[in-house]
Amino acid sequence: MIPELGQLTLTFAFALSLLLGVVPLVGSFTANERALLVAKPLAVGNFVFTLLAFIALCWAFYHDDFTVVNVATNSSSILPWYYKLTATWGSHEGSMLMWVMILAAWTALVAQFSKGLPLLMQGRILGIMGLINVGFIAFSLFMSNPFERSLPFYPVEGNDLNPLLQDFGMIIHPPLLYMGYVGFAVSFAFAIAALIGGKFDSTWARWARPWTLAAWMFLTLGIMLGSWWAYKELGWGGWWFWDPVENASFMPWLVGTALIHSLAVTEKRGTFKSWTVLLALGAFSLSLLGAFLVRSGVLVSVHSFAADPERGVFLLIFLLIVIGGSLLLYASRMHSVRSQARYELFSREVMLWGNNVFLLTATLVVLLGTLFPLVHKELGLGSISIGEPFFNQMFYYLNIPFALLLGLGPWVRWKQQKAAPLLKPLSMVAVFSLILALGTLAATQSVTANLALLGLLLGAWVGLSALLEIYQRLQQFGSLSKGIAKLQASHYGMTLAHIGFAVLVVGVAMTLTYSEERDVRMEIGDRVVLAGYEFELQDVYKLNGPNYGGEAAELDVRTVDGRYVTHLHAEKREYKIQRMVMTEAAVHARLSRDLYVSLGEALPGNAWAIRVYVKPFVRWIWLGGLLMSLGALIALLDKRYRRPTTAVEVRHA
Amino acid sequence: MRKGLFYIPLVLFLGLSLFLLSGLFSDPRERDSAIIGKPLPAFSLPDLMNPQQQWTPESLKGETFLLNVWGIWCPTCNAELGYMSQLRNEQGVRIIGLYYVLPEDPMFGEVFDLATLQKDVQSRLQSFGDPYQFNILDRNRRLSMDLGVSGAPEHFIVDADGIVRAHHIGDINPQVWRSKLAPIYQQWAAKP
Repeated sequence: MIPELGQLTLTFAFALSLLLGVVPLVGSFTANERALLVAKPLAVGNFVFTLLAFIALCWAFYHDDFTVVNVATNSSSILPWYYKLTATWGSHEGSMLMWVMILAAWTALVAQFSKGLPLLMQGRILGIMGLINVGFIAFSLFMSNPFERSLPFYPVEGNDLNPLLQDFGMIIHPPLLYMGYVGFAVSFAFAIAALIGGKFDSTWARWARPWTLAAWMFLTLGIMLGSWWAYKELGWGGWWFWDPVENASFMPWLVGTALIHSLAVTEKRGTFKSWTVLLALGAFSLSLLGAFLVRSGVLVSVHSFAADPERGVFLLIFLLIVIGGSLLLYASRMHSVRSQARYELFSREVMLWGNNVFLLTATLVVLLGTLFPLVHKELGLGSISIGEPFFNQMFYYLNIPFALLLGLGPWVRWKQQKAAPLLKPLSMVAVFSLILALGTLAATQSVTANLALLGLLLGAWVGLSALLEIYQRLQQFGSLSKGIAKLQASHYGMTLAHIGFAVLVVGVAMTLTYSEERDVRMEIGDRVVLAGYEFELQDVYKLNGPNYGGEAAELDVRTVDGRYVTHLHAEKREYKIQRMVMTEAAVHARLSRDLYVSLGEALPGNAWAIRVYVKPFVRWIWLGGLLMSLGALIALLDKRYRRPTTAVEVRHA
Repeated sequence: MRKGLFYIPLVLFLGLSLFLLSGLFSDPRERDSAIIGKPLPAFSLPDLMNPQQQWTPESLKGETFLLNVWGIWCPTCNAELGYMSQLRNEQGVRIIGLYYVLPEDPMFGEVFDLATLQKDVQSRLQSFGDPYQFNILDRNRRLSMDLGVSGAPEHFIVDADGIVRAHHIGDINPQVWRSKLAPIYQQWAAKP
């Protein structure tokens, strides 16, 4: 009964989204105020009904309704209740419904918070969001129905949730990631609405900025959580794999980052217009491309859902309509738009142009690395794979000039900047960076010219420069305390996000350079020494979990001079229904290093294979991501974005 | 000129979607085997049913054959025995089995016992069909390893000169045989 209601409400939502996609858009061309006014209630209604459908699916999972195919294949009665709920988005069908629900939520949010927008823009933006809703609800309803029943022959027990997904990370990683992916639909809709209207003044950029920041914040958090989850769940201490699906989330992130910066130029200086619009289209297009890559089975990845060419064809057609259509509109409208603003070579405009160039080059690298194997094979040249070394090397070279520019950028003024006033503060930053980098390296490791030193130098350059810049800016208000109260929230946000990037760079460089690992055979009582820590295996015993068995190991860690550090508990779980073995690594995390132990197979003679890692500064990677998204949050709360628009309101087209 | 620039993203995207479309209809897991076009790796292995008989690449030459890597522990292999028997009886395809022995686990008291294995294989072939001219026993899995086998069942077409001509991962069913393997098999079997 409840699943049928879910199906029904989803069908209602489909009807509402169709209306939303047609009525206000038509109204915007016929200057029909009533047709435009209907957009908001339709958007809210669409959200309410998709939410009800999503709740119905959650209900089916919670109550072990194995007559629903999706529940039977992705859950089981012995699963703990919280994983039953998260299993709702563990499958292709369920995650698609969540995607739809989140898209409807963004649409409703735009409807709620667009009071400051002219009615015409409101109607167009919501109408475009409605059309995107139509596509995804149709995909969910017709191509991957999550409510499909297997009556009358239904299984009495479910197939269980993939053990990889039985983790805390699964509870929040996909929702956050989807919030990010789908959030770019809002920037996309703003850009399309601007293209239709043919007006590219700075107001549209101002409207689009907070939404872009919000989507980017969620995407950053989602990617960061995914990385942290892989680190602790896959059992070999990796935090980024350059897997096609990770790349699929990384590309919209890179373009989204470029978009945030480019929007600033368009808003403040009224230039880079065509470029910004293209980025807004690109960020969402890459989200869609990612969804296609994950769900169509064209690439091999650990994340893929079951492949089905029919679904792939549907998504590809959808992609062609949305991306192809928007790029066609772009090409036909944008060529007549010209930017008038003038700026010198050394100006903030050029700095941000540089930011865009590097971020887009990085996107191109990821796109080529991800799709080249596919293209290569389809051209009949055979299978190849592009892996970590390619990406690592490319990002190594891209990151150096990017970080140098990032340290300099915030100091440079719009239009024109004289080099002389910057020489003193920046050379100070350079000197202190050198001291800080060498000092840190001398204190924690040994001083050698390597990747770690480079990472520390770049990190210190970016971080110190951001700090000094905001300090100087605060003082310009007269006194420091006055400045702290008066400085715009978006400036704090920017500084925090830049420091986050610095922290991330340091984390990556230190972890890559100084991680140590050992694979050892250990009997109970054996000890192994790694990077100044001594791990002692104290006990191994049988596990008895709700839906898994396996073994657990207990270890004590001391420093080599005998000081007790911590106790570690690592598990190797065997999930009964899916017959899968999962490692639950034991991690002792500190800001300066992680101790990481994973339990392997039992070896002959009452011994076990144990893998021990010491990973310096690995936490900084995720801390950096956290700071970046926090920066976005603060910038998003800037009062400026909530002022009613000063532009003349166009009530009638 | 300037107008044309704005069409570049659209053109690039359309080009990309062509590849995506063709990618939809091909299997990303399919790989070209490294062994194709090369002679069988050197080996000297006993016959499963008659261990006195030793097989070498030399002794297999003379006629094109289908080499099938299998084991009774593999359900898919058992499922394809019927169709392969049909191929042998109706089309006269020469099929040679390469029996893949699973590593035994002494912790569970598993030991390798040839007599039991022979009995099990015999009864399996009686109930599902026997497509094999004979079976080569790959006790240490060396030959399978050299052939680049990643699981069972896998199939190789080897020509009369002992050169590997095709490598198929997965089972043989009427569709796979007709569309993929039969043309290659017939091409090399027909060669004088």
